[in-house]
Amino acid sequence: MKPFPIATALSALGLFAAHWLAFDFVPMERTMGAVQRIFYFHVPSAWLCYLGFLMCFVGSVGYLWTRRGRWDLFALASAEVGLIFGFIVLITGPLWARPAWGAWWRWEPRLVSMALMVLIFCAYWVLRTYGGSGEGVKRFAAILGVFGAPNIVFVHLAVRKWRGTHPDQVVARSDSDMRVALYSILAIMLVVFVLLVVQRYRIHKNAFRVRALRRRLSRLGAM
Amino acid sequence: MNPPGFLSVVGVVLAKDLRTELRSKQTLMTMAMFGLVLTFVFAFSFVADPATNRKVLPGALWASLLFTGTLGVGRTFAREAELGAFAALVLSPADRAAVLLGKMLGNLAMSIVVMVLVVPLLALMLRVDITATAAIIALQLLLGALGFAVVGTPLAVMAVNARFAEVLLPIVVFPLVTPVLIAGVKGTGIALGTTIGEDAWGWVQFIAAFDVAFGVGGLFLFERMVTE
Repeated sequence: MKPFPIATALSALGLFAAHWLAFDFVPMERTMGAVQRIFYFHVPSAWLCYLGFLMCFVGSVGYLWTRRGRWDLFALASAEVGLIFGFIVLITGPLWARPAWGAWWRWEPRLVSMALMVLIFCAYWVLRTYGGSGEGVKRFAAILGVFGAPNIVFVHLAVRKWRGTHPDQVVARSDSDMRVALYSILAIMLVVFVLLVVQRYRIHKNAFRVRALRRRLSRLGAM
Repeated sequence: MNPPGFLSVVGVVLAKDLRTELRSKQTLMTMAMFGLVLTFVFAFSFVADPATNRKVLPGALWASLLFTGTLGVGRTFAREAELGAFAALVLSPADRAAVLLGKMLGNLAMSIVVMVLVVPLLALMLRVDITATAAIIALQLLLGALGFAVVGTPLAVMAVNARFAEVLLPIVVFPLVTPVLIAGVKGTGIALGTTIGEDAWGWVQFIAAFDVAFGVGGLFLFERMVTE
């Protein structure tokens, strides 16, 4: 048996378990009520989003220094999957914020830096999807991947300086059952994350191969 | 023959670009015209009572800087690309970082000229008196224009290779200069007394830190960007 389908099947079961953990296992949060349960998906998604973009940064640096295609593919796959988790964060966050804060959005450092990060990597994705697939575009994207990461730090600092308020750390004051659920769900989602990155990496690699073969064929006059 | 020194390359590239630009005035005129059009767009969109105008002015100023800057930055290597001189520039023994720095300063100079035109005009049309705080606003915009140039110029070099470069460039550059935009709008707001905050200098320092970080980072990476 191949490991990839098995891991995929297991991670699908894991996602069911994650829902059980978030909706049944953990006790009801006293002040926020049921809506707090969204945090078991929101917080791990945010961490995985940061991880994806960190991996994109690493891949981009690797590509600029070695010019090996695999670093570029790694950066691309990481950015794509990070972007998906970023969207999950930006959708689940307001869903929670509306009942808890009374507003869909707040100009608060973590929110703004997450939104900006997603925006930067949307640009990255648009560039990779519509900008062509030449070597120059890969370098362009790599520069974006490298510039993106320190930029988030600046955005975060700027909004903190501007607002000066920080929301409460929800994870810190949760009870042990909540923490068990949170980290279990994080582990499950991490597996999904890794599988998705591996799959996207393979798909891009194959697409690259197909393009190269097509070029060779057309040079040989067969197409 | 020894390769030319770093600063002399910067100077030669900058002087060459400014000289050709002053002869054709192609980029400068388009930027200035666009700035002019923008002031009308902003004036028609936002003009209201004096207190509101004063609040709106920082945003209009900084948006103008970004929008006109995009035009200039997009043209950074246009002349070289059209005439096939880009390869010659890269193959020359000159330090590539120096070439980039010369280009960055060229873009900065262009933005300065345009902003000298746009800032008084916007203030005039929105009827805000900025003479009392002109110095600090000028400094903020100067550092902001530098921040835009240091981020935009290397990306513009890379954009030459992409399809839809002229559309892609603003999509890529605007999110990256957001820290400058936030700091600039807040800082100018504080200078005009419409934003609550400690003092405008903190934001000036913030933009300066951004300029140094991305300027040095870009120059350092440029060697990696354009090998071969």
